[in-house]
Amino acid sequence: MRPADSIEKLIKGLRYTTSDETHDRVFSNVMQALDQKQEHTSGVTTPALWRTIMSNKMRKFAVAAAIIVAVLIGFHPFSGSSSTVYADVVRQLQKARTLIYTVTTNTAIEGMPEMEMEIAFKEPGYMRMTMPGGYVSVLDCVQGKGLSTIPERKQFIEIDMSNLPDDAGQKQTEAIEKLRTLPERADEDLGEQTMDGRTIHGYRVNEDSMTHTVWIDPKTRELIRVEMEFDNAPGMNATATDFQFDVELDDSLFSLTPPDGYSRLDLQVDVSEAGEDNLIEYLRLWTGWTKDKTFPPTLNPVELAKVSMEMAKSGGFVPERPTKGANLKHVMKMTRGLIFVTHLPAESNWRYAGENVKFGDADTPIFWYLPQGSRTYRVIYGDLSVKDVAPEDLPD
Amino acid sequence: MLEDRWLIWKFKRGNRDAFRAIYDKYAEDLLTLAGNLLNDKAGAEDIVQDVFIRFVESIETFRLTGSLKGYLATCVANRSRDQIRRNMRQRTALANQAGCVATATKSTVHLAIRSELMQKVSHALTELPYEQREVIVLRLHGDLRFRHIAKLQKTSIKTVQSRYRYGLDKLRSTLNGEVKK
Repeated sequence: MRPADSIEKLIKGLRYTTSDETHDRVFSNVMQALDQKQEHTSGVTTPALWRTIMSNKMRKFAVAAAIIVAVLIGFHPFSGSSSTVYADVVRQLQKARTLIYTVTTNTAIEGMPEMEMEIAFKEPGYMRMTMPGGYVSVLDCVQGKGLSTIPERKQFIEIDMSNLPDDAGQKQTEAIEKLRTLPERADEDLGEQTMDGRTIHGYRVNEDSMTHTVWIDPKTRELIRVEMEFDNAPGMNATATDFQFDVELDDSLFSLTPPDGYSRLDLQVDVSEAGEDNLIEYLRLWTGWTKDKTFPPTLNPVELAKVSMEMAKSGGFVPERPTKGANLKHVMKMTRGLIFVTHLPAESNWRYAGENVKFGDADTPIFWYLPQGSRTYRVIYGDLSVKDVAPEDLPD
Repeated sequence: MLEDRWLIWKFKRGNRDAFRAIYDKYAEDLLTLAGNLLNDKAGAEDIVQDVFIRFVESIETFRLTGSLKGYLATCVANRSRDQIRRNMRQRTALANQAGCVATATKSTVHLAIRSELMQKVSHALTELPYEQREVIVLRLHGDLRFRHIAKLQKTSIKTVQSRYRYGLDKLRSTLNGEVKK
C-alpha cells in the first residue's frame, strides 16, 4: 500500500520541461503579440487626478516632491497638496456661504493608514484644512495666498498662488454648483439603503476619470455622504461626510498670519540656484530608496508623483524609508533636482534615459544636456560621474 | 508576491525584461500543469503561450489581487478544460462521420521522467476522471487551495476535497495493481 503522501510526492515529480529554444520561441511569440497589440493602442494620457494635483503651477515641483517623499515615509500622499485635490470636493458641494465636512482617504497602500481631514470652506474663497498632528493649511483664493503650519517644528510655509488663473475663486463657486447638480447627472440610481439607522438614497456619477457616489437623505434633502473613486488610482478612495452648511465661521480661522513663535520655512526654490549637482544629488537619493537601485523611470514631476505611489504599492521601495525629520530636506533636494531639469531650455536637447539603469553602471549614460554656450554636452552616467562629450559621441 | 507586483509594475511601464523574469519564473510550472492536465506536451506549450499572450495583452488593465502563479494557473486550467472539451467534440464528430468508434489514442507523454514508475504514475493520472485529475494537478502543481479550486470548478470545497481524496485513492490502487503485475 502506497501512502497518500508518497503518491503526492510522485505526482509532484511529474515535471514537464522543454528546450530553451522552445521557451525562446514562445517568449518571442508573446512579445510579437504584445507589439501587435501596442500598434493599435493610443498614447498615454495624463490622469485627471494628477492633473488636478498639479494644477497649481507655482507649487508643482514642490508638491510632486512632497508626494514622493510622503509616500516614502508612509505618510498621507496628499498632505502637501490636499488643497487642490479636496478643493474638488468643495467645488462640488452645494451653494452655501460656509461649509464644514470631513474627508477620509484610503490609499490602499500597505502600511499607509487611513487619513482623516477636516475641511472648512467660506465664501468667497477661503479654505482651511486640518490634518492629523495639527497640520493646518489655509488658502485664500481671493488674495491668491496660503499658509501651512507645521506644529512639531513650529514652522510655517507661505504659499503664493499668484500663478493661479484669475478666475480661480469663480471656478470654486461654479464647482459648488456642479456638485449640487450631481444627482441630476447621475448615471445610475442606486436606490435606498439604510445606513446608521437612517434611510438614504444613492446616485452614481461617472465622469472625469472619477466615480462619485452621492448619498442623500430623501426626507431632509441633506447631503449625507460622497464617496469618490479614482480611475487612475485603483484601490484609492475618499469619503466625504459630516457636512454642515452655513455654520458661522470666524474670519480668524482663515487668517494668513502665522502663529506666534513660528519661523518661516521657505519652500520656494530659486531657479537660478538649481544646478546639475542638485539633479545628481536627487538621483543618488532616489537609488537609495529603490529596491533594485535603479534610477527613477521619469523626471516628469507629474508622472513621477504617480509612479512613486505605484512603486510604493508594488513594493518597489526599500523598507528603510527616510524619517519624517528628513522629509523636508528630501523635498528640497528633489525639488531643486527636478527644477533644474524642467527649466532647461529646449535648445539644451536634454534627454533622460535612466529608467531601469542601476546605480553604479559607469558605462550607461542616463542624462545629458547642452549647457548654454557650450560646444560639448554634459553627460551623467549610471555611477553619477559626469563627462563632457562631443555631440557626435552622444548616445543614440 | 511583492516581487511579482514589482515585476508587473515594471512590465506595465514597458520593461520587457520584467516580463521575461515573470516568464522564466512560471513557464515551466505552467507547462507542467498544462501537460499533466492534457497529457499532451505540444498542446501544453500552446496553452502556456496563449495564457501569456492574454496576460501581456491585458497588462494595462491587469490588477493582481492574489498570487500571480495562482492567477496564471487558473488561466491554464480554464484553457486546458476548453481544449479537452474541444478535443472530445472533434473526436465525437469524427466518429460520427466515419461511422466507427473512435479509439482514444493516448498521446505520447513527453515528460522529464526517466523511470518506469513515473511513466506509470503519469499514465494512472490520465486514467482518472478529469475533475479528479484537475483537482490533484491544480493542488500539487498549481499550489492552489481547495477553496480556489472549488470556485474554479463551480462546486463546494467538500466536493473538491472528496475528488482529491478519491483521486489519490484510485491512483494508489492503480499503482499497487501495476506493481503486483
